[in-house]
Amino acid sequence: KRARQINVSTDDSEVKACLRALGEPITLFGEGPAERRERLRNILSVVGTDALKKTKKDDEKSKKSKEEYQQTWYHEGPNSLKVARLWIANYSLPRAMKRLEEARLHKEIPETTRTSQMQELHKSLRSLNNFCSQIGDDRPISYCHFSPNSKMLATACWSGLCKLWSVPDCNLLHTLRGHNTNVGAIVFHPKSTVSLDQKDVNLASCAADGSVKLWSLDSDEPVADIEGHTVRVARVMWHPSGRFLGTTCYDRSWRLWDLEAQEEILHQEGHSMGVYDIAFHQDGSLAGTGGLDAFGRVWDLRTGRCIMFLEGHLKEIYGINFSPNGYHIATGSGDNTCKVWDLRQRRCVYTIPAHQNLVTGVKFEPIHGNFLLTGAYDNTAKIWTHPGWSPLKTLAGHEGKVMGLDISSDGQLIATCSYDRTFKLWMAE
Amino acid sequence: MALSKRELDELKPWIEKTVKRVLGFSEPTVVTAALNCVGKGMDKKKAADHLKPFLDDSTLRFVDKLFEAVEEGRSSRHSKSSSDRSRKRELKEVFGDDSEISKESSGVKKRRIPRFEEVEEEPEVIPGPPSESPGMLTKLQIKQMMEAATRQIEERKKQLSFISPPTPQPKTPSSSQPERLPIGNTIQPSQAATFMNDAIEKARKAAELQARIQAQLALKPGLIGNANMVGLANLHAMGIAPPKVELKDQTKPTPLILDEQGRTVDATGKEIELTHRMPTLKANIRAVKREQFKQQLKEKPSEDMESNTFFDPRVSIAPSQRQRRTFKFHDKGKFEKIAQRLRTKAQLEKLQAEISQAARKTGIHTSTRLALIAPKKELKEGDIPEIEWWDSYIIPNGFDLTEENPKREDYFGITNLVEHPAQLNPPVDNDTPVTLGVYLTKKEQKKLRRQTRREAQKELQEKVRLGLMPPPEPKVRISNLMRVLGTEAVQDPTKVEAHVRAQMAKRQKAHEEANAARKLTAEQRKVKKIKKLKEDISQGVHISVYRVRNLSNPAKKFKIEANAGQLYLTGVVVLHKDVNVVVVEGDDEESDEEAVKKTNKCVLVWEGTAKDRSFGEMKFKQCPTENMAREHFKKHGAEHYWDLALSESVLESTD
Repeated sequence: KRARQINVSTDDSEVKACLRALGEPITLFGEGPAERRERLRNILSVVGTDALKKTKKDDEKSKKSKEEYQQTWYHEGPNSLKVARLWIANYSLPRAMKRLEEARLHKEIPETTRTSQMQELHKSLRSLNNFCSQIGDDRPISYCHFSPNSKMLATACWSGLCKLWSVPDCNLLHTLRGHNTNVGAIVFHPKSTVSLDQKDVNLASCAADGSVKLWSLDSDEPVADIEGHTVRVARVMWHPSGRFLGTTCYDRSWRLWDLEAQEEILHQEGHSMGVYDIAFHQDGSLAGTGGLDAFGRVWDLRTGRCIMFLEGHLKEIYGINFSPNGYHIATGSGDNTCKVWDLRQRRCVYTIPAHQNLVTGVKFEPIHGNFLLTGAYDNTAKIWTHPGWSPLKTLAGHEGKVMGLDISSDGQLIATCSYDRTFKLWMAE
Repeated sequence: MALSKRELDELKPWIEKTVKRVLGFSEPTVVTAALNCVGKGMDKKKAADHLKPFLDDSTLRFVDKLFEAVEEGRSSRHSKSSSDRSRKRELKEVFGDDSEISKESSGVKKRRIPRFEEVEEEPEVIPGPPSESPGMLTKLQIKQMMEAATRQIEERKKQLSFISPPTPQPKTPSSSQPERLPIGNTIQPSQAATFMNDAIEKARKAAELQARIQAQLALKPGLIGNANMVGLANLHAMGIAPPKVELKDQTKPTPLILDEQGRTVDATGKEIELTHRMPTLKANIRAVKREQFKQQLKEKPSEDMESNTFFDPRVSIAPSQRQRRTFKFHDKGKFEKIAQRLRTKAQLEKLQAEISQAARKTGIHTSTRLALIAPKKELKEGDIPEIEWWDSYIIPNGFDLTEENPKREDYFGITNLVEHPAQLNPPVDNDTPVTLGVYLTKKEQKKLRRQTRREAQKELQEKVRLGLMPPPEPKVRISNLMRVLGTEAVQDPTKVEAHVRAQMAKRQKAHEEANAARKLTAEQRKVKKIKKLKEDISQGVHISVYRVRNLSNPAKKFKIEANAGQLYLTGVVVLHKDVNVVVVEGDDEESDEEAVKKTNKCVLVWEGTAKDRSFGEMKFKQCPTENMAREHFKKHGAEHYWDLALSESVLESTD
């Protein structure tokens, strides 16, 4: 009677697993699944259902304790990693110097001019309007990215197609076929269309099945595949030098690929859940990652250390971006807020209660970082002043969630793409 | 002096007792004869003659005793009438003799003293029964009494000090005693001894009881405060009002003190022996008053007196004998367990040491690393550093731009090591597996129900078959009563119908009761409702920020406050000229806030989640300036709400 009240899985393999856990033979001669199930039930009625539960709980506990005891540790990477790191150091240090120099110069501009410039900018931003709207595909568009010369826009779609559009007239230039599942992101090489040859690798894209593909501008087929991911790759991002490619993966790691050597030089762990977004510092010295564990981490690419831990969000971080001024980081999270962090002071400077739904992307204006763009699932994108963080303009017009956004490198155009299968361009009148 | 039948009845037990005492066994014939004698009003001599055949040589003694008992019984009956007369004297005695009484009684029952003192004190505070004229107890009188008492105490002390060495030697009765004991009766030594023992036994019991009471009193300090109350209680506890006893002494001065072969049997012992419930103290008062008792007192150790006067029942005295210690056995396996724990701990430590060793081998020690990484000096906002701190870490020697070819190998800390930092679990842990309940189709549900019911029914039947349960009476309904109760129904349909209806009602009632028992009580329902309303904030608090154009209407304010109170929301309302910000923390279903102010342009500024509540109870705050409002928000660490609301309103006004 007691046996009858016990619920036993109807799945035969599970029944077998249970029997094995209880130390019973998983099958007897001439025993079918039904009899096996009955046997398990009878055994359980004798030993009690707790027996199985306990083993399951023990499992969990041991797993948890293993994680709790986890400490910082190191392992030796490939030799190429050290080479790459040295290269990055050599690359980033002069850039940092240059950037600081420029900042000093900018600071010498009298206050009044600066404020007037700022006011001018704000005025133009206030007049931002929907300039063009285009249906991109028959599935939601997940990502958009301007080419460095601001003449092209790449969109990634859940249908697996990536498309290149001319800007600002929104004509379809190329359709890149290669992915079979939702494409997470497609990004232009920082030098493409500026100095890079069309035949070279100009674009990189990633998809939910873990495939990462590289594209050239003259072909509809991928130039190369990057193998190595087993689960979803959420985002890809080029290192400012164009030599390295960063990818974030749902297996709690992000990777750095050296395209010259054509190998993975860094497999970086650290997040306790999947990593969603990655951004590189202007100098090329740092990388910031935002994870689904609600924490962000800033990594020094030269030493390989996590130099800053962005703790403060309550939910997953879906967007991270470095300001061109070099020391501000913005993160957008599922708790509807956007946080601005100061690298120099190593703390969160401000929390913007940005949207009424989860924030999918954040982006600084790429030249001076004078404003911040956030897009969210509440169908709007918003523009915020950069120091000050007050709202400037709400870009409303999408009928679906805003999935991706970008600002052209000249700062003139803003693109947003949405779940409603369109992408829109916004421009000041 | 013939006695009524009723009186005789009352006397009967006394006589029985006396008979038993004198003869050593109870003899109903003697009792009846004695009763006859008393009833007829014979005097002593006649009675003795009458009883001679029954108790030859001990007759005289018996008769004496008998009459004594009769007198006593009568006097106690008369006491009511004479109480008025005697009350005052009694009081005086009480006051005058408290110390003596206690001393005397202490010889047998040490512990009893405190209570006696209380009893004696009692009349001083409470005026006697209403029959007594209250004027008798003037302050002056009381004072006098007290003085007399102290004097007497002094005297007694002196005397005691003279005769302090306790002399258990037999003493000849004092000269005055014979007249007090006109009956001149003698008791067999053995008998006397038994009496003594008896008395002592009883006294000890009483003492025990008293000690217990005292202990209880000590536990309740409030009660000790008014001792007179306690005294009164004790009086009642003793069963019989003390005056009775004393009155008997007054009406008939014959003391009950027995004296034989030098050892004075204490009156106390005798009294107790005679009358179970009667406390002895008042009798003693009488006795003590007399000089001849000095001799008796001589026998008593002087230390008793000290212990009387300075005895504090609240102070616990260590027992003279040490308590025997028992063995303490450890539980089986206790030390094994401890050892096991130690072993595992050691193992763990070893493991940890190994891990840290490995970490040190492969990388740089964590603490030094942290110190190196940390920025050297704090920068003010807007300052541009010479070099970013994360860059300065790898080039500790500085870096000059003049060098054209930066192919340098002297960077610090660039290795091919890959760091695996400690992973932190997300702040909101929502990875608990979501388990779907078992949902069954209608058909499956029915099947399951059928099966379980059949099972239960089978079990019941089994029980009935085994005789563990009486078979259930046939379930009858109006529709099937003819079939079930065939012949009976034909014989007396009315009765059968009534029976059926009663059964139906019973079934109905049982069903309803079962339902009612399953129902939540009002308390539980309330708790459930509150629990439903109160949000689970372990996964973050839901926050909504509203901006209202005008919130001067007190009705609106009240609505907000009432809503917040009833829905267990927290938050703040900041009232500023045009921008009234309402921050609500709590459940995400309370959009009624909005509904409240539809006409009055209420904008949802932001909603989202935060780690925990930043505000307390819903409060209203009037802020004349923007700065003040911002400060108020900043105090709660939520200035961005205000900033956003304000700037939105500004934007709105410019549009």
